[in-house]
Amino acid sequence: MKRELTITREGIDESALAHGRAQLSKSGAVIVFLGVVRDEEDSNVISAIEYETFEAMARHQFEKIFDQIEQRWPIQSIRLRHRIGRVEAGAASLWVEVIAPHRGEAFAACQFAIDEMKRVVPIWKKPISEKRNE
Amino acid sequence: MRVKVFFYSYFKELTGFSSTEETLASGSKISDLMPLLYAKFPKLTAMANSTLIAVGVEYQGRSYVLHEGDEVSLFPPVQGG
Repeated sequence: MKRELTITREGIDESALAHGRAQLSKSGAVIVFLGVVRDEEDSNVISAIEYETFEAMARHQFEKIFDQIEQRWPIQSIRLRHRIGRVEAGAASLWVEVIAPHRGEAFAACQFAIDEMKRVVPIWKKPISEKRNE
Repeated sequence: MRVKVFFYSYFKELTGFSSTEETLASGSKISDLMPLLYAKFPKLTAMANSTLIAVGVEYQGRSYVLHEGDEVSLFPPVQGG
C-alpha cells in the first residue's frame, strides 16, 4: 500500500494533490475527504482555528493507523495531509485520499482513518474568535 | 531517576510551563509521578479523568514503569480534523 503523510503549516492545494494522484490500473474507487473549519465552535462564532500537534507522536500514531488499514482492507494508496497552525474558517484543515479496487473498502478505510485520527493522534485545536475586518 | 514531563494544548496554560522535570525512586510508575505533578500544578487535578499520557510516542497507562530519561507527555483529549 502506498502511503503519504504530510503535517504542514501550508495550505491544502486540492488541484496539486489531485495532479499527484497515483495511477493504479486496478483501482475502481478514489475517495477524497476534505475537512473544513466551520465558522462556529460550541455555538460561538469563530474566525479561525489554531491547530497544535506533538508531531513525532502524531506521525507515529498515523503510521499505526495506516498499518491497521493495510491489514484490514485491500487499499492501494492512502494519502493524508493535516494542517497545523492557523486555519481560517472556510479553509481546509484535513485532506484524505484513499484508493482501492472497490468503493466499499475505500469508504470504510477513509472513515476508519478519520475516526482513529480523532481518537489517538495528538492534534489539538484552539478556536480564534477575533472579529474579522469587514 | 529523572524524567522529563511535557505538556500540550491547554495543559501548558494550566501549568504555566511546556515542560518540567521530576525525580523519582527507581521502579516508580506513572501512578507515582502523577501525585507529584498534581501537587506542583493543582489545576491539572480537575483534568485527571480525561488526561492522556504518553511515554515517548506511545500511550501508556498509570501502571507503566518509568525509566531514567523517559519523556512523559500529558495532554487533554485529542481533536484532529
